[in-house]
Amino acid sequence: MNAALLQPAFADPVLDAQRSFRTALKALAGPGVVQVLQTAHQPPALAGLDSATHALCLALLDLDTPVWLAPAFDTAAIRANLSFHCGCPIVGDRHKARFALLDASVAQDLDGFDLGNDRYPDQSCTLLIQLSGLVGGPAFTWSGPGIEHQHRVALPVGAGFWSEREARNDFPRGLDVFFLAGSQVLGLPRSTRVQECA
Amino acid sequence: MQINPETQARQRWMGVLARAHVDEPSRERLSRHEAALRDIDSQIIRAPEIGMSLVRGRMGGTGAAFNLGEMTVTRCVVRLADGRTGYSYLAGRDKRHAELAALADAHLQGTQQAWWLAELIEPLAEAQALRQARKDAETAATKVEFFTLVRGED
Repeated sequence: MNAALLQPAFADPVLDAQRSFRTALKALAGPGVVQVLQTAHQPPALAGLDSATHALCLALLDLDTPVWLAPAFDTAAIRANLSFHCGCPIVGDRHKARFALLDASVAQDLDGFDLGNDRYPDQSCTLLIQLSGLVGGPAFTWSGPGIEHQHRVALPVGAGFWSEREARNDFPRGLDVFFLAGSQVLGLPRSTRVQECA
Repeated sequence: MQINPETQARQRWMGVLARAHVDEPSRERLSRHEAALRDIDSQIIRAPEIGMSLVRGRMGGTGAAFNLGEMTVTRCVVRLADGRTGYSYLAGRDKRHAELAALADAHLQGTQQAWWLAELIEPLAEAQALRQARKDAETAATKVEFFTLVRGED
């Protein structure tokens, strides 16, 4: 490991990680509603990772969670800092990963991620997808648990992502997703139904 | 496994620094250098934090490993402005000492290594060796030899 690449993480490791975890919980409990991480409790920037992505990595990853990195995030700095601050193993095999860090270009292909099994659906891989923004794409209507009526969400991800997700959504098995941009977090649990706007 | 001499030297001073908070004279010596240790731009990579570590032992030093118990450990990582990184791991809950030990480790990797070794590490090591020898002598005085008398039965 290259010690020169290391950077400080959360200023208050315990409370800031708890705050970020709380934000992640709220994002999954209310799918399609943008949650914002407070500036004061964000970790310093890490090259390639937005602050929300970095904060969620620090809050969620540890020794028991192998993580898969998309080629865009597979840099020496990100590897060194994640292994140092989280202690998480970084794996090349998608099936072994409990978390995966993706960008918009690889979000079209969800092949190989663990969907959990009927007895332990919680063991599926959770995807962290970093986007340039959380608006400006084709609009979809989201409904399901945690949404009273409907939400219109227009994420800038390709159509390929939605068909891939649909193909892997075999409830209770499936993939939970966090979309991240800047300091914003948006959750998409497997239980949310996504339909094209009429 | 081959350990190169550089690693060995660093292991030695990290060990000496980790043990430097057990008695008052050692703490004082480290505190005396506090201003010099902090007199450089540095960044805390991992703020001093306290955790638990499982201590394992082997019966007689050779038997199967067993869990002896847990102990508190404090660790810290700092980086100086020129990129040298200092690490410290020590027993107990002394955060200030962990930070000083990490700073000292970083300084010891630089150009002034000889000065730091002579001023800080050697006196500390000497004091620790003396204390260990005294303790060994005290313990040796309580040693009891067990033996069995053989009765002339056969």
